[in-house]
Amino acid sequence: MKRKILVSILSLSMVMAMLAGCGKGGSTGEAPSGSTTEKAAPAGEASSGDDVTITFMASQDWIQDAEMELGEKFTEETGIKIDYQIVPSDQYESLLMTKINSGECTDIFGGQSSQFSIVTQFDVEKNAVDLSGESWAGNVDPAAAVELSAGGKLYGQPIQDVSACWAVAYNISLFDKLGLKIPTNYAEFTDVCEKIKAEGIIPIYECVSDGWHHVCWTEAAIAATQADPSYPDKLNNNEDTFAGNKELIKMFSQLKEMADKGYFGDNYMSNEYADAPASIASGEYAMVLYNQGLGAEVNAADSGFPEDNIGYFVNPLCDNQALNVNYCGPSRFIFSGSKNIDAAKKYLEFMASDESLAYMTENVGKFNQLPYSNAPSAYSAVVQDFYDRYPEKVAVFQASVKYYNPAWMDIGADMSAMFLGEMSPEELLKDIDKLRAEQAAAASDPGWK
Amino acid sequence: MNRNKIYPRYFAFGALIIYSVFFFLPGLIGVGYSFTDWSAYSDELHYVGFQNFTTVFSADENYMKIITNTLEFTLITTVLKNVIGLILALLLTRSIRLLNMHRGIVFMPSVLSTLIIGMIFKSILDPKAGLLNSFLRSVGLQIFANKWLVSSELAFGSVMAVDIWRGVGYIMTILIAGILSISPDYYEAAAIDGAGGWNKFRYITFPLILPTLATTTVLNVIYGLKVFDMVYALTNGGPGKATTEVLYTAVFKKFGTGQYAVGTALSSVMFVIMIFVGIFMIRVMTKNEVVE
Repeated sequence: MKRKILVSILSLSMVMAMLAGCGKGGSTGEAPSGSTTEKAAPAGEASSGDDVTITFMASQDWIQDAEMELGEKFTEETGIKIDYQIVPSDQYESLLMTKINSGECTDIFGGQSSQFSIVTQFDVEKNAVDLSGESWAGNVDPAAAVELSAGGKLYGQPIQDVSACWAVAYNISLFDKLGLKIPTNYAEFTDVCEKIKAEGIIPIYECVSDGWHHVCWTEAAIAATQADPSYPDKLNNNEDTFAGNKELIKMFSQLKEMADKGYFGDNYMSNEYADAPASIASGEYAMVLYNQGLGAEVNAADSGFPEDNIGYFVNPLCDNQALNVNYCGPSRFIFSGSKNIDAAKKYLEFMASDESLAYMTENVGKFNQLPYSNAPSAYSAVVQDFYDRYPEKVAVFQASVKYYNPAWMDIGADMSAMFLGEMSPEELLKDIDKLRAEQAAAASDPGWK
Repeated sequence: MNRNKIYPRYFAFGALIIYSVFFFLPGLIGVGYSFTDWSAYSDELHYVGFQNFTTVFSADENYMKIITNTLEFTLITTVLKNVIGLILALLLTRSIRLLNMHRGIVFMPSVLSTLIIGMIFKSILDPKAGLLNSFLRSVGLQIFANKWLVSSELAFGSVMAVDIWRGVGYIMTILIAGILSISPDYYEAAAIDGAGGWNKFRYITFPLILPTLATTTVLNVIYGLKVFDMVYALTNGGPGKATTEVLYTAVFKKFGTGQYAVGTALSSVMFVIMIFVGIFMIRVMTKNEVVE
């Protein structure tokens, strides 16, 4: 009997100890979600810089070497360390959303700006810190600020140059050698590709394995906006669909044709975005869809390749001749559940200073004009010529159409299915409607009820 | 039967409470959520009946292909890991030079991180500059150089092959332990009776390692149904829409896009499949067991 009592007491104490342990964990876990004063305490500690490390998660290519160099300087000045967590781009979105939705995100997270998706996807009013009162907030370009604001409050800080757009970058000397002219429609573009292919050079470097780059070709969907300026609004109000739109069918059919005709070469499904500059520098490829910093990056990959030997023309699908502008781009957000909000704010303030913006512009080839009033301009003659050549500007779907940006990676998967012959352009468009409807239903969008 | 040797029931209470609170209850709540419209976009929760399950089993969706992929992955990797593991175990229980080194080499992939293996193999299987295709081209076998991870025909097979390579050493180690536990007396008696290598395997080794094979089968089936990291690192479900997508990568993506309800419905389907597979395997494994 005594043994029974002893065993019972031991069992009970073991269970109690376990539950007490869990209880302790719970109380510390609840602290950040308590009152603001409770939140401020650890943040205050952070500001002293004693053993504070802020975590910053972003997709591949969003954090440049120059930013990490500035991060070291920031640590020297403040004592606050930064743990950069760079995630492969094809895995980033799933990981970020899982972290945000589980309440375990890094102190700073990188996310694409867009006045629609920062609300529907990130729910910034709940998951991000209001940055409207920060010293640098007034310097953000108004067009970029719109894409980072919700309910009149600024929630993000732009990382990249949003004046740049996804255009076809080409090897100028190769074009001159082959007597090629900048194409002004899709037919001329295919002629150019055929002539380049005939020389044994792969016309276009495309990289599907990253999951996102090939979707940038769909910025030619501005042709649908040009055909019917009210089309984005109709899509946003669920009064029209992607399926059946003639311009969009044409756009995806032309893309598929480009792949089938071998303009992307044999390895486009496994090529990686990071290898684009080296591939152009090697002369193996003649063109790539890129932003206006490729010249510097190709020159960095091969110093014998002059920076100004890269020119640009607009994405010619659907005979497009307008500039596809997008004031959205990768941005920094501070996670509202962070214990180091003050330290994270200091980092953002540091990155938006005159010196940091000048350093980034000077050291990152594709940054010509960061979207801040205190950032210097560094457009080269080639880039300026490109912008001057296309006076008409149309906002891309990523910025003008709801639930398009959150479906980006899924559209990428659909497009690779189309390249593999598993899906037709019409089926792809139907699937985009379905993906958007799923997002809208989850967000209880009144337009979809 | 000596009743004093049986431990009292309350010994299990602590473990039962912990298991119920941390495993059973969350599982049950998860199943409950699959009947709602739970999502990251709204704080409200509404009962929607079988709507999420209708979505999962709808012909317009890819989920049936994902479930089939998972079962196919489980079946093929389980069979091949067991067969190859058994062959290796038989080879590496013989008197050969540097035996432990050979065992170590085969076992080593099992202790490496799956994500690291995935990244290494992504590079090895690159169609243009990967080690495998470069080797095949260098020895004049360019006809066999393929787009291993980016063609819809080969991607799933490649993922399974890498997973088998990673897991076979672990299975081999368990089977070696099973083979070494067989008394050498049986083999001596069989040799006296004139039995050859095949007959020794067929009538002694194989029947006596069947319980070990049952254990490795259970381990492989559970791993196969829950596979995530290998697929995630190698193809992330691609190329295309769902060429190599399995249940856990699909659930991960649904949670990533904030569509929790469909994610939990998929998990619930998985749960039911695992229950059926589990009951079937327990029945098969305990068929010849004698209870004392």
